[in-house]
Amino acid sequence: MAVIKDIAAIAKGMSITLKEMFSPTVVENYPDGPGPLKGAKFQERFRGVHVLQRDENGLEKCVACFLCAAACPSNCIYIEAAENTTEQRISGAERYAQVYNIDYNRCIFCGYCVEACPTDAITHGHGFEIASLNATSLVYRKEQMLAPLPAHLGSNAVFNQAETETGTPAVRS
Amino acid sequence: MPDVNITVDGKKLAVPAGTLLIEACKSVGIEVPSFCYYPGLSLQGACRMCLVKIEKMPKLQTACTTVVTEGMVVSTEIDEVRQARKAMLELLLANHPLDCPVCDAGGECELQDMTFSYGAAESKLIDIKNHKDEQQWSPVVYFDRPRCIMCYRCVRICGEGMDVWALGTANRGSAQLIMPNHSDYLECEECGMCIDICPVGALTSGAYRYKTRPWEMKHVGTVCTHCADGCKTTLGVRRSPTGMQIVRGDNRDKSGINGDFLCIKGRYAFDFASHDHRIQQPLIRREGRHVPASYDQAYEHIALRLKEIREQHGGHAIGVIGSTRTSNEESYLLQKFARLLLGTNNIDHHRTADFPSFAGALARKKDATASMRDVFNAPAILLIGNDPTEQHPLLAWQIRNNVRLHRARLYVVNSSPIKLRRQAASFTQIPAGSEPQLAAFLAGDDSAANALASGEITREALAALRDKLRGEPNLIIIFGSELRGSSIDSLVRFGAAISGAKFVCLGDYANSRGAADMGLYPDLLPGYVPVGSGARFHEEWGAPVPTEPGMNLLQMVDAAKAGRLKALYIVGANPVARYNLDPFALSKTFIVAHDMFLTETALLAEVILPAANAYEKSGTFTNTCGDLQLLKKAGDITTVKSDFEMLLRVADRLGFDLRQLVPFRQAERADLGQSRGAQSGEADRHAIWLEAHGLEPKLSPFDPIAMLDEIQRLVPGYDVSRVELLAGNDQHTSIEAGVASSIASQPELILPANDTLFTSGTLGRYSRTLNSVIENPRRAPADKADREVVV
Ligand code: SF4
Ligand code: SF4
Ligand code: SF4
Ligand code: SF4
Ligand code: SF4
Ligand code: FES
Repeated sequence: MAVIKDIAAIAKGMSITLKEMFSPTVVENYPDGPGPLKGAKFQERFRGVHVLQRDENGLEKCVACFLCAAACPSNCIYIEAAENTTEQRISGAERYAQVYNIDYNRCIFCGYCVEACPTDAITHGHGFEIASLNATSLVYRKEQMLAPLPAHLGSNAVFNQAETETGTPAVRS
Repeated sequence: MPDVNITVDGKKLAVPAGTLLIEACKSVGIEVPSFCYYPGLSLQGACRMCLVKIEKMPKLQTACTTVVTEGMVVSTEIDEVRQARKAMLELLLANHPLDCPVCDAGGECELQDMTFSYGAAESKLIDIKNHKDEQQWSPVVYFDRPRCIMCYRCVRICGEGMDVWALGTANRGSAQLIMPNHSDYLECEECGMCIDICPVGALTSGAYRYKTRPWEMKHVGTVCTHCADGCKTTLGVRRSPTGMQIVRGDNRDKSGINGDFLCIKGRYAFDFASHDHRIQQPLIRREGRHVPASYDQAYEHIALRLKEIREQHGGHAIGVIGSTRTSNEESYLLQKFARLLLGTNNIDHHRTADFPSFAGALARKKDATASMRDVFNAPAILLIGNDPTEQHPLLAWQIRNNVRLHRARLYVVNSSPIKLRRQAASFTQIPAGSEPQLAAFLAGDDSAANALASGEITREALAALRDKLRGEPNLIIIFGSELRGSSIDSLVRFGAAISGAKFVCLGDYANSRGAADMGLYPDLLPGYVPVGSGARFHEEWGAPVPTEPGMNLLQMVDAAKAGRLKALYIVGANPVARYNLDPFALSKTFIVAHDMFLTETALLAEVILPAANAYEKSGTFTNTCGDLQLLKKAGDITTVKSDFEMLLRVADRLGFDLRQLVPFRQAERADLGQSRGAQSGEADRHAIWLEAHGLEPKLSPFDPIAMLDEIQRLVPGYDVSRVELLAGNDQHTSIEAGVASSIASQPELILPANDTLFTSGTLGRYSRTLNSVIENPRRAPADKADREVVV
């Protein structure tokens, strides 16, 4: 009897296995999948590496108000402000962020900075492949987070869209 | 005056008659919001923010212009009032841009706070806002009209407070705006008072423009390092690659002797600290060129040479020149270093006033010196010589506002028509250089009037002035460096006949009084004790020190020229430029200089040690009135050190027991955590070095507070409350006690700085702000604005 019981148990187990074998896959084929995301899929609301947005004219939205830095619970945003001049206009308002660093050693991806931003300049992108053997390379500079120029203003020399989306820094030095 | 009984929000209170309703409310903790009301300025009633309901009055009333009356019943928290406040805010915001994220006032803006507290963030108006571009009125002042709420605070502080009247208004209604005196630029004292007092971000400063935000800084209240008045300035510091950078100076902390006041130097001239030319590492001259060296090499080099010279030629072949901008502790340590360690009394500093004669004249007179606070409250003031508006801006502010608010009577005697005559009850112009005769005349020598009388100023008028002054009890007598030696005696004799008369002797530079009090004299120990009678000091120091007076500054230079002075140790001074010395006179002398910049003097040095300035260290300063105040470390450059530390390191290399120099073990409690900026990492550096040398890390010899212990024990008049001092309050010291009455002063050595509002000795040359304003007579030409001006 014991044998029959065992066989029944195995059959039951194997039936689940067989059923799953023929149902569609749930697991993403990351990192061997197709496309720039290598098979990874995201919810829209996923909070990844930040993207600093530009306005419709290609100017940076960030006005260096430091509110994100003030809101940040892990104190990982560092900003230096500077004034726009007529010759060199970086943002739409009077001032812009000359230096804007986020230290991903410390960022907990809480999104408070995004909440705090009065100009919707900082947003969470979907970049997540930021693991590194070198902690200093985790301090991202503005150039690494800045959105590319809108298409009608010409392509950005340093970035392409895919890189920004995956959060892979183009500047590696 | 009898008290008046009123009821506010159901609370019954009695306040003195004549009190403004807004102040009465404040006294019981009821806040009535206000914009245009500012204590100490005339009433304006412009903003209508302070509306309250007063029973039996048909409409809401402005609490800031209403004087309490008996039986008044006031409500400040009823719906009607709340609604009115909200409506007022809405109107104030009608043309106000949504600038908070980019506005320098964001985070400490009264309009922001009020909108937050009382609501009205949303506007019912759909009209397009009036816009006007931001204007730059001067290198210091920017004006953004749309942000202005027309409270007139700036107009009043500039006019009433500063007596400059550079700001006014133009147009009416929503087109009304504040105007500078030259329609599109300002020519004024550039004090920045208007910026500080502006409740919003309409007036902002060029120095701080877009640098950072208020919550990003650490705010340190310390003492201004420019003139001798000792204003408290709050420095905003921020982390920088080299330590802590000072990014803002303002008057956030109004607890200082200066109340609301700061002049351009205290507010903006901190920028020398981050000047590119700052020396950041020790330099040793090798083959005619200054090459960088390590601290160890520099200390070693200095110690070796000094030891050699001391052994071969004796202490009298070494001279020491101290500074008028180092702390009391450093000056005290320096003279101890010279006397005890180098064995010489050849020590001097740039003298800007005859403090020894002043001390001598006041010997054993009690309470004979006035504090800076007294100047604001005295019923009558006599000002002889000097031009405080230029050289002692805070003193001028105190006098001006005493006259305005307390109706003090001001008597001015001067050789030129100085600006303060506008506040004076009587102005007497005397021939230039005749101030000593005036002192003699006041003291009763009628024949001295011959030199004074001319034109309108008759002998009778002078006699009348003297009689009038004699009948002014509690008179404060303030005099400049025109009076020296026996003239000070005469003046003090004149004052002795007036009950309650007090004196102020005006010197230049932030701690010149401290340098004098701490004994940077060849013939005087700290507290003006003659070198021959310093038993108290010798006992405490545990070693004999030379009792023969040494050489003064000019004698030292002569001796150097003659080859008799082999070494000169200069701390934070530029005698070559000040006294216009011939650099070749010093070419045979071994010179050590502690300095921030390669000044004319530092260039001659064989070893240059990079010194921290007063904003980068702790200690105490004594202002020209004798008010002792605490310096707190604000800025920091990791590679420079305080003079205090460097002197001790040299002493250590000379093989001297540091405990004998700084009584850091005998102190009650030396380490009060004041000397180490938490940010700087200094504590660790000290701790490691101390451990390595077998010293107690907790009680560090580098802690100036340990030196202050000894100063308070030994220097007469400095036994003030330590608790008050460390709490950041000013404490008045008295130089009169225990001083010998016969002090041989050398008036010929006194060289006034003759600074203006926009210059500040050698230091001022390195301040970009000071050199950029058009009012500065030594302004750099536009194309050279970035270079320092060579005076
Ligand atoms: S996501 Fe959170 S932790 Fe990361 S930078 Fe923004 S506020 Fe800071
Ligand atoms: S990202 Fe947004 S919140 Fe942060 S400084 Fe820029 S504008 Fe301000
Ligand atoms: S800076 Fe001073 S003097 Fe100049 S306008 Fe403002 S308050 Fe007046
Ligand atoms: S500039 Fe500032 S202080 Fe002057 S009226 Fe406008 S809001 Fe008031
Ligand atoms: S009045 Fe003198 S002490 Fe005060 S801020 Fe000006 S320079 Fe500094
Ligand atoms: S504070 Fe009373 S009207 Fe402005």
